[in-house]
Amino acid sequence: MREAGPRQVPGTAAGQTRHADLEALIGAVARGDQAAFEAVCARAGSAVFGVVRTVVRDPSQVEEVCQEVLLDVWRAASRFEPGKGSAMAWVTTIAHRRAVDRVRSEHRSAERQLRAASHQVAYDEVTETVETRLDRERVRRCLRSLTSLQRESVTLAYYGGYTMREIAALLAVPEGTVKTRMRDGLIRLRDCLGAR
Amino acid sequence: MRRPRPEPHSLVGAYALDAITGADRARFERHLATCQACAGELRGLREATAGLAEAVAASPPAEVIDRTLAASARTRQLPAVDRAPAWRAFLRVHRARARWVPAPKRAWRPAPRRLALGLAVVFLAAAAASGAVALSAEHHLGTARLSDHAIAEVLNAPDAVLLTSRVTAGGTATVVMSRRDRALVFTTAGLPALSAGRYYQLWLMGPAGDRPAGVLPAPDRGMTSLVIATGVTAGDWVGLTVEPAPPARHRTSKPILMLSLAA
Repeated sequence: MREAGPRQVPGTAAGQTRHADLEALIGAVARGDQAAFEAVCARAGSAVFGVVRTVVRDPSQVEEVCQEVLLDVWRAASRFEPGKGSAMAWVTTIAHRRAVDRVRSEHRSAERQLRAASHQVAYDEVTETVETRLDRERVRRCLRSLTSLQRESVTLAYYGGYTMREIAALLAVPEGTVKTRMRDGLIRLRDCLGAR
Repeated sequence: MRRPRPEPHSLVGAYALDAITGADRARFERHLATCQACAGELRGLREATAGLAEAVAASPPAEVIDRTLAASARTRQLPAVDRAPAWRAFLRVHRARARWVPAPKRAWRPAPRRLALGLAVVFLAAAAASGAVALSAEHHLGTARLSDHAIAEVLNAPDAVLLTSRVTAGGTATVVMSRRDRALVFTTAGLPALSAGRYYQLWLMGPAGDRPAGVLPAPDRGMTSLVIATGVTAGDWVGLTVEPAPPARHRTSKPILMLSLAA
């Protein structure tokens, strides 16, 4: 692990500070500041890597996609709008979009269908190896507060990279149901995580 | 049996999870461009998905970061643009239009043209929504090109004005011009199809002479995507000709459109 940029400080305000810092850092990256970019990689790289690894799975591709995402952040830093959500949301949105684009173009159907069954297990396994994060336990607690259909819809889409249509088929429920559960699940998750 | 088309707004959760693709995604994005409530809700849901990301955070191998940093030193950054997303530019054009309508004595905007102007705004907005302007509120990456940012800048300019005119050969031309940027964005609808090897060529014509200002791209469903012309000077007209082969240095035919840019 690189020691680029300040480390996050544990404590009640740590989450706030960390996000505020990331916003300022991305502003500096937009001005071509390489040191700020290094700090952004240190700060947001693990969320990016985590999403990519969880969705893409194939170890031979994870690093490449992770690098693409971080370079996107470098290239497009001037497009980040601080008033429109947190920097972490911006970065992870890029990461997730890139990751699902990769899995959807790579493997279709069969292999992914097989993986679906074992998906929840794999997710648990991934989180075991994670570095200590303040937010992780809270997110998992919030996820547990969702109904099972909400949770399955949200996690199959976010961690599994499945489309609404695929999830409807996997869970044998109408698409409209999955759509509603996704929205309701995310709303509940957002409310549970609270304002950050 | 046909699947019923879902009501766009309710797709906000699926969209935040990148769980809709293709036509559904495009349709939601078009809806998003005009729905402030959706954009607000999406913002909140993105914070929830960021939480999902942080819950699986794992340190990347140091080599990945090293390679990324090395690559960044060789990678050009996108220039800063007006931060308003492209769709907002159209709203601004709408508002600008609302301001000009009562204003008198603009030669290029006689009253009967108001309807045409309204339609032009609608089809410009449709051009943007269909991806002609590859910028969106969702920070689309990879598709953004330099010309798109320049186009967005003109559309976002505080002094952007919208002009529209019939083309003698058939169809309509629409221009959004910014004097500040000395640039204009041009699009057409319903131009007649040309035989192979012939092109629609845009010109700036005026005291500074005739300058070629680009070849119109092949139309998609009757509309040409947005092209930008820069270096507009006082007294210029926008002209359109049919030329045998691009890029033409001098025009070889009579303009089928002459639109004065003088206010």
